[in-house]
Amino acid sequence: MIGAVNPAPSAGISIGNAISSIAEWLRQFTVRISSGNSHGSGVIWRSEGLIVTNAHVAHSQVHDVEFANGTKTQGWVLARDRECDLAVMAVNLGGLPAAAVRSSANIRAGELVIAVGNPWDGEGAVSAGIVHRPTNKPWVVADIRLAPGNSGGPLTDAEGNVVGINSMIVNGLGVAVGSDSVEAFLRRIHLAEAV
Amino acid sequence: MTSSLVEFSNNLADTVERAGASVIAVLEGGREGVSGTVWRDGLAVTAEHTIRGREEITIILPSGERSSAKVTGRDPGTDIALLKFEKHAVPATLADESLSRVGEVVLAVGRRGTEGLATTHGIVSAISGPWRTWQGARIDRWLRLDLTPFTGFSGGPIVTARGEVLGIATSGPRRSVVTIPCSTVARVADQLLHRGRIARGYLGVGVQPVALPESARQALGTEAAHGLLVITVEPGSSATNANILIGDIIVAIEGTPVRSVRSLHNALDPENVGKALTIELLRAGKLHKVSVTVGERPERSS
Repeated sequence: MIGAVNPAPSAGISIGNAISSIAEWLRQFTVRISSGNSHGSGVIWRSEGLIVTNAHVAHSQVHDVEFANGTKTQGWVLARDRECDLAVMAVNLGGLPAAAVRSSANIRAGELVIAVGNPWDGEGAVSAGIVHRPTNKPWVVADIRLAPGNSGGPLTDAEGNVVGINSMIVNGLGVAVGSDSVEAFLRRIHLAEAV
Repeated sequence: MTSSLVEFSNNLADTVERAGASVIAVLEGGREGVSGTVWRDGLAVTAEHTIRGREEITIILPSGERSSAKVTGRDPGTDIALLKFEKHAVPATLADESLSRVGEVVLAVGRRGTEGLATTHGIVSAISGPWRTWQGARIDRWLRLDLTPFTGFSGGPIVTARGEVLGIATSGPRRSVVTIPCSTVARVADQLLHRGRIARGYLGVGVQPVALPESARQALGTEAAHGLLVITVEPGSSATNANILIGDIIVAIEGTPVRSVRSLHNALDPENVGKALTIELLRAGKLHKVSVTVGERPERSS
């Protein structure tokens, strides 16, 4: 009997590499949002300093916002929609790496999705899963392992395009507010164009 | 790098779509509707426990068309029911489940009413040989999955990364997913189509396991540590005809020592109905051999 030997790396390993390289990019536009002792995540939606998160993350008026490179600043809530669980805040910084956004209307069941967020103390933690079902409601449901700190963070497709904002966990499945709902929310509050 | 990920993602979505072409929604199944898998044109299977007591149900075909379906056969033992409908649908492509491997990626695919396909992914976490459901039915292979169940997944297929069906999904204890492998579904579906039901063996005895004292074992020259004490005998049953009496202790069937009530289930599989079995029993301190012709379990009066 000889000792156990690891098998040769297979195609599965390169998929792992692909996810880790894309995660590097996703972390650039994901921020950590905190106020008091609660925290969550947010997505840089416009490079001019517009950050989208969940209404349940942005519960006060001013929050600490921390970027991937360690820069810290403060974010002011511009608008909140508790029904859609969305909030938008402004930071006094420009030239930020903004997320690429894809319409949540044409996603397919089974597509790969990736989430980045700040669950517990893990900063920029990555999880991967698949689209459980596209719904005609404003939600995207994904078979992906999320934790409370993922709230407000991005759910992206395999190319790193944001398709939703992670919002809650229902029966073990991740529920995100679809990107189309985010755009509709921004239009409602007249922030569709650059601010 | 990224393009391999996009390809992987598209392949998974294609797999769900391909498999989904044979997945129907069973609207009145379960609490919020369940799924079904098209087995042949005009014939689908679903999880029996989700449509108990129903004769006719509404389904939504992969085409989106609504149709009524008749429940033409049901087997609570394996949790399989057959649905017949007067519309066309593409039968599922079956995988050779004996080639399934631990670690293999699998998908559960369901259809949620008119909303369309739903899926979760996971892997095969363990594979082992035949097992028995608590009703005593034999399932040809145990496929344990690491996969999140979702509302309405029951009756839908568990598919490989190629989109081929390994088996039909149903719910197990503690929010687990149980796979009824295709070989078992095929066997049960054929019998249901031919006879409308699954014949299960029946002896007409009620038994209770008892420990055999060491002295009795030595005197009898048997290795069995346990026997089955006969506590009821149904009049007119196979047991009565074979002259089995209350108080007899069954110690072996066809030469195999019995261990528990489950030992009887092996002897009562559908293929044994009508066959004569040799039963060894302990009566008044002596070993007796009787021949019993296995009867058929009467249908539960509903």
